[in-house]
Amino acid sequence: MTRDERVSIAVPTGALHAGALALLADSGLASLSADELGRQLLIDRDSVRVILVRPADVPAYVDHGAADLGIVGKDILWETPGAHYELVDLRFGGCRLVLAVPDGSGVDGPDTWPPLMRVATKYPRTASSWFESRGQAVEVVRLHGSVELAPLVGLVDGIVDLTATGRTLKENRLRIAAVLGASTARLIANQASLKTRSGPVQTAVARLREASGHAG
Amino acid sequence: MRRWGYCHVITPLVESMDVLDLGLGAEQRRRLFKFTDMRGDVVALVGERTVPVARLVAGKLRAAALPLRLCYAGPVLSTDEGRFEHRRETYQVGAELIGASGPVADAEVIALAARCMEATGIRRYQIDVGHAEFFHGIMDAVKLPDEVKAAMREALVARDFVTLEALLEDTPLESAEHELLLRFPALRGGPEILDAAGGLVRNRRSEQALAELAQVRELLVAHGIGDVVNLDLGAIRDFDYYTGVIFEGYGPDFGRPVAQGGRYDSLLEKFGRPAPATGFMIQLDLVSEMLRHALPRIDAAIAWAEGGLATALRLGATLRLFGMRAVVDTEARSEAAARTWWHAIGGANLVHCRGEGAVAWIAEGQRARMLPPEQVAARLAGGAA
Repeated sequence: MTRDERVSIAVPTGALHAGALALLADSGLASLSADELGRQLLIDRDSVRVILVRPADVPAYVDHGAADLGIVGKDILWETPGAHYELVDLRFGGCRLVLAVPDGSGVDGPDTWPPLMRVATKYPRTASSWFESRGQAVEVVRLHGSVELAPLVGLVDGIVDLTATGRTLKENRLRIAAVLGASTARLIANQASLKTRSGPVQTAVARLREASGHAG
Repeated sequence: MRRWGYCHVITPLVESMDVLDLGLGAEQRRRLFKFTDMRGDVVALVGERTVPVARLVAGKLRAAALPLRLCYAGPVLSTDEGRFEHRRETYQVGAELIGASGPVADAEVIALAARCMEATGIRRYQIDVGHAEFFHGIMDAVKLPDEVKAAMREALVARDFVTLEALLEDTPLESAEHELLLRFPALRGGPEILDAAGGLVRNRRSEQALAELAQVRELLVAHGIGDVVNLDLGAIRDFDYYTGVIFEGYGPDFGRPVAQGGRYDSLLEKFGRPAPATGFMIQLDLVSEMLRHALPRIDAAIAWAEGGLATALRLGATLRLFGMRAVVDTEARSEAAARTWWHAIGGANLVHCRGEGAVAWIAEGQRARMLPPEQVAARLAGGAA
């Protein structure tokens, strides 16, 4: 099979990894084990090439055309808007992006927000535009991990972070003050792939769409 | 472009903000590099060249009769690095046909764009042709509150079909237009999709757009580029700016369009000279990146030893007359050293000139032959023809 007919799909490591592989198997496009892909990073099957990349890198691979399609959380797309098409809500990997504050904090609804709110987050773009659209001055501290720690040591008033079950927040004595948005896994496509190789790409999209529980 | 009667115009890289304000949307204005000149007026580095050309047509060329065929080449800048494939600056070549409306003018500009793409050396390319009015007609026909429509437009321009689907699911109405919007990215193909879409739309604007597209397609077949043209009813572009036929040019295995264009009939009147207009631009730096691995091969590497330089220069000049790519060495070399040089620069043939008489000609994979220079030229040029 030539490059022209094979559809390449970028699959993320991390929280969405297992769900993405299950979806690929359900759609009949490729049946792979996590071990196999973890070892090789790039696997060619009959009609698809599967590439394993870090979650935040999926849009880059797709936007530059190194992958025709990508499976990625909506939370990543909020942070890195690009020229790709967001085609299907794949309906797994559900979680919420929330504003969380220490249990004892007086911060709750917008009327209780301080004149200048300080928040720590891995999602600076989404967080600042959300606060700005509500007329709230905000100072965003960009962190790369263990965001929950920041309010406990007095670095910030609260955090903006993803949560699926709320357990990590609870363990760190944080409570949810506001929900910024809901995220699930999405299927994105390179804009040129949809035009120049539309046959095989649209077929793959249709199969993934069906496997994710959408009608026809 | 000269062969198509397009006149080259030079527009400034630095434009007054007052001029750019007239022609650009808020988002485009935000992306400009702005600063002040000596008088304290705000000026900007242009982010595209159509607005400066429009100003020229309405200003300095006011007396010139329409239609005008103009072309340009130059850099454009954007503060948003994502805009031009992660670079601030890109080099654009483009053309504008101002003062002509209708499918004949649309097809002329598309055919010119196709020939320009060909001229850059891209071997396989395709052009997707759509129509902004097809979309406008659908949006008119969908019966929804204005704020929902605004959200739908926003989602579509962001190519976010998940949000679009959610918005449409929340509405009780089911219509062919809904179906069309959801299938937007898949609405492309040959002339048959015009019929398929024609069976679904029930509004004048969209129907008119489909009729125009059918004509443009026929004209493009007559232009000789029917085989590279696809119809793409789901083309998503700046819908506030484009008013008619729109198109994009794609090269092989490159994740972005390298050429873009379309009809923008409402721009010129903002400069006080209402006129229909259509045009396109090619991003030359993207093209050169695409061709990186396919640089033109040198046809003849011409080396020389003591006493052979004049012969080498004459041979080079002759070969170039025949349209061949010939490189003459800058220093004298023995034949063995010349072979090394030849392999380093690449090339289909090596010619080694040692004096007035015979020269050594070595074609790739063959042994050397001694021939008079004019015979070498004749054989090389003959082979090229």
